[in-house]
Amino acid sequence: MLLEIAHLNVRYEKAVLINDLSLHVDEGELVSLVGPNGAGKSTTLRAISGLVAWEREIKRRSAGGEIVLEGTVTFDGERIDQIPAHEIVRRGLVLCPERRRPFREMTVLENLMAGAYLLRDRQKCRGTLDKVYYLFPLLQQRSRQIAGTLSGGEQQMLAIGRAFMSDPKLLCIDEPSTGLAPLIRREVFDKISEISRLGITILLVEQEVGVVFQMAHRNYVLSSGKIIAEGTGQQLLADEVLRKTYLGL
Amino acid sequence: MNILITGLITGSMLALLAIGFSLIFGVARIVNIAHTAFYMVAAYCIYYLSVRVGLNPLLSMLTAVAAVTVLGLLVYKFLIDPIREHEGAVLIATIALAMVFQEVTLRLFTGDYRTVDFLITGFFTVGGVKVFYQQLLTFGVVLVTLGAVWFLLMKTRLGLAIRSMAEDREVANLMGMNESRLAMITLGISVALAGLTGAVLAPLTVLNPYMWMEPLIIMMAVVVLGGLGSIKGSFVAAFILGFTEALVVFLVPKGAFLKGSVALTIMILVLLIRPEGLFGVSFEEER
Ligand SMILES: Nc1ncnc2c1ncn2[C@@H]1O[C@H](COP(=O)(O)OP(=O)(O)O)[C@@H](O)[C@H]1O
Ligand SMILES: [Mg+2]
Repeated sequence: MLLEIAHLNVRYEKAVLINDLSLHVDEGELVSLVGPNGAGKSTTLRAISGLVAWEREIKRRSAGGEIVLEGTVTFDGERIDQIPAHEIVRRGLVLCPERRRPFREMTVLENLMAGAYLLRDRQKCRGTLDKVYYLFPLLQQRSRQIAGTLSGGEQQMLAIGRAFMSDPKLLCIDEPSTGLAPLIRREVFDKISEISRLGITILLVEQEVGVVFQMAHRNYVLSSGKIIAEGTGQQLLADEVLRKTYLGL
Repeated sequence: MNILITGLITGSMLALLAIGFSLIFGVARIVNIAHTAFYMVAAYCIYYLSVRVGLNPLLSMLTAVAAVTVLGLLVYKFLIDPIREHEGAVLIATIALAMVFQEVTLRLFTGDYRTVDFLITGFFTVGGVKVFYQQLLTFGVVLVTLGAVWFLLMKTRLGLAIRSMAEDREVANLMGMNESRLAMITLGISVALAGLTGAVLAPLTVLNPYMWMEPLIIMMAVVVLGGLGSIKGSFVAAFILGFTEALVVFLVPKGAFLKGSVALTIMILVLLIRPEGLFGVSFEEER
């Protein structure tokens, strides 16, 4: 197992965001985490990549509201639930965050280089950049353009490319298709499949159940902070109640 | 001509101050009211070392900048860092710090005006205006420093991390950038810039323990005009204000006392008309 989350709990003040969540991702898999808005998908990704703990620390230091974070996260054979976000990346767990969040004032190339911040080896950095340019030729054409002036789809490609520059073993992608036109969505999903075929393990959070169930090896359905179902797309779609109530199909 | 020279020198120095102030605000959201107090401390350091101790002026300057930087880092480590996420507390702490610097200086050197000798003497005349070599030297050093800061920010790995942290610190964390280390480094750079400004300005001005207040107000105006956290904005706004100031002093007879009020007026106007400044990004929630 590359990633194993066991009994994860996240609470903000009184609100329970994640309730005893356990899931795992094997090496080479493309696993999806789906569920309605507000189910806790982003919170799960933020928890494993260290951002919830980071936020908790800020809240504590500024005497803001309390955040509770419990459970264990094991990545590549090591516990990572107690180490800071900037160290987690170094081990190969990389998050491409919700709403893309490019550095808008920087050029495309600078964004990619920011992603490669930990790649001190020039050779390797160059090689990874070539791979990103191969995957997203558009980013090469636009390398000198200011990221804030890219279209939504281009910004999403950039966000994924930037995460790829961090040399991930596990790439977590949060809602890459949200807010994009159907044709562009298709392209984004194709790129994700391509990255998966390169051998990179992917944990994909999405709302677009239809496409995702075809791509992913396995899927988890999340609702109100709890995993309510797990399986292949076929298995999940066969469940009438699940389909109607949670997947909206 | 006089306006041009004064404007250029004032503008470039304001830029140096404002960029340092913006940098640490951008990276760590620290509003450092004591920023210009560090500049005063540097100026007094030079006075002490060169006039009282009799050290070589150039050596005094280097020592002063180094000393102020170390002082800044110590203050950061023990005073600011523990309360860094608490914006109100940081504001109060840095105001208090500026006061402490002022009072200590007052104790050590009294309130008398002090002067530091020119590094190089002499002048030449252009269009009937005296230009001192010292003015030229100060301007040159400031320009070189501005260039160096630009290079650091735009062309190095550290600069990329600083800019990333300033733009979106959460995402910067996700790229493996170490927030507290970067904050520390940035604070060092910021205070060093304030120290350097004090160092090169010292020979051109008279020193007194209250000399940090006026530049603080003008620097704030620069930062507001340029857009909080925007380096490019600080740069442009610094020259705009530098020239405005020189113009006012030149056009209004005995108008030097108006400098502060002009800056304040500009600041208030900007806040009313365009709160995000010339280049600032409108404040977006981080989440
Ligand atoms: N910083 C926060 N403070 C309090 N509640 C939050 C915060 N972030 C998210 N939530 C709440 O937690 C729930 C789960 O959010 P999220 O993980 O973003 O859901 P999803 O990504 O599945 O749409 C939502 O009800 C949301 O309102
Ligand atoms: Mg979400």
